[in-house]
Amino acid sequence: MAAIGLGAFGIALSAGPTAAQRAVTPFASLSLAEHRVDVGYGVERSRGAILGGGARVRLGARVELALRVQGGWLNAATPGAVDRDVGEVGLEAGVRAAPWLTFRAGAQRRAYSSVIARQGWTLVDVGAEVRFAFARGTITGVTRAAVVPVVSVSGLPRPDVAVTAATGLQIRRRGATLGALYSLERYDFPAQGAISRREQLAAVTLRLDVGLGRR
Amino acid sequence: MKRLVLVLALTGGVVPRLAAQGSTQDLLQQASAFYERLDVERALPLLRQVVSPSWPFEVTAAQRVAAYKYLGACLALVGKGDSATLYFRAAIERDPFADLDAAVFTPAQLRLFGEARRLTFAVAVRPVASARIDPRTDRLTFTVVTTHAGLVDLELRPVSSDSALRLFRGVSDGPRDVAWDGLLADRHLAPAGRYELRITGSSQLSRRADSAVIYFEIRHEVAPLEDTLPDLTARDLVPEQFSRSAATRDLLRGLVVAGTALLISNGLASRHLGGSLKPGAAVLAGAAVVTGAVAFAGDRRHPDIPGNIVANAQRRAERAGQNAAIKARNSAKTAATVLLVTPAAGIGP
Repeated sequence: MAAIGLGAFGIALSAGPTAAQRAVTPFASLSLAEHRVDVGYGVERSRGAILGGGARVRLGARVELALRVQGGWLNAATPGAVDRDVGEVGLEAGVRAAPWLTFRAGAQRRAYSSVIARQGWTLVDVGAEVRFAFARGTITGVTRAAVVPVVSVSGLPRPDVAVTAATGLQIRRRGATLGALYSLERYDFPAQGAISRREQLAAVTLRLDVGLGRR
Repeated sequence: MKRLVLVLALTGGVVPRLAAQGSTQDLLQQASAFYERLDVERALPLLRQVVSPSWPFEVTAAQRVAAYKYLGACLALVGKGDSATLYFRAAIERDPFADLDAAVFTPAQLRLFGEARRLTFAVAVRPVASARIDPRTDRLTFTVVTTHAGLVDLELRPVSSDSALRLFRGVSDGPRDVAWDGLLADRHLAPAGRYELRITGSSQLSRRADSAVIYFEIRHEVAPLEDTLPDLTARDLVPEQFSRSAATRDLLRGLVVAGTALLISNGLASRHLGGSLKPGAAVLAGAAVVTGAVAFAGDRRHPDIPGNIVANAQRRAERAGQNAAIKARNSAKTAATVLLVTPAAGIGP
């Protein structure tokens, strides 16, 4: 599920310059997500769709804030996996250091809910985003990487490895920006006894940003 | 008396110029006073002293002309017409503008003076006084004179040019005012510089001819002109075409995105869990490669950047408009140029 958040964020934060210059930019996203987890009984996979929405607000020429809410479901794709619903709310801030480089930090609260349990995740990530516009300016490539120094999962210790990365393309047209992004989150938890827990969440996200207000 | 003055001059060293003029002027005033009282016998010696080569003090041209006039007037009063005419001619030769006031002098004197003018042919131009001339509304007036009827040619030319503007050509008798509008023969405003005004004349009563020249300076008084905007440089314009390197960079960008997607799905993913949504990453990578390739091909085959071409055209048009406005304002300022005329000495450029 973190990958879904990453995907949504990745696109939101790398929206084209035209949209980024607008004061308020609402967005909507649709993600195809796959969650993989191994808690010692083999890899359990579940897939599903996540719908999201939110808005970005520019504060001056360099600073941007984004609020995102999304939710969906992940259906079990392997034996042993269980269906679950997912919901997430996140807040992110970005500071543009150069036209092609933005430093970002974000915090998310995520919840997985199934018939047998409910699990809460609190994440804080810090990273950077690189943008490289193609010559004609309509299409922009976006790549983002971040570490997640704060990961708090109910019932689990802090993971040893917590990283996220995403990359994709955006096309901008008349103030609207459509993006496609592949993202992945990886969390390797320390072994408890002989069992080590690994989780991975990947998503392919389509996202539409529509600029509002004045440039 | 002359000896006394001479002794004083020699013993006193250099006699101050103003004092010398004062002495000549004093003598003329005394002579005039005697003349006014018809005491011609006492006026004549004084006047002769002034025009005498032995007169030690400075005599201005005007004083000498005045002395000759009074000498002629005195001699006319005592019936020495020929001598009077001779002195009148001397006055006229030195100053063709010389004249007798009909309210002051007798008809006989006036007649003899007129005879002197007929016997003498001279032309002259009155020196130009300092003036500020707006060519749109004002004219610079030159006053010329002939002592009697003659064919006169009045020409103006910059001393640096052989091209002359003829201001007047025709028969003239006596003083004449000739107006000049400040334009030269090409109908352009006279440029700043030094000018020569030459009058030549030939008598219609005799075969005599004469000429005179004056010089004056012209300066332009014009509001400061604005500089037009400099030509646009490459720094001021945006590229109108994609370079070959830009096309290559587009291809590389696509490859970078594709490579990054594959790297994330394979390299970053946990080996234990395996890659997630690899087909999605592959599709995205493929899209990135296609995007880069299409961009590369587009940049190479259609290198023009329409938006930049339009933007540059707008900048050029904007600059041209600003320059046109500047030129219009400058033209208006130039059209309002005022000529500052000052007399000048000398005989050459």
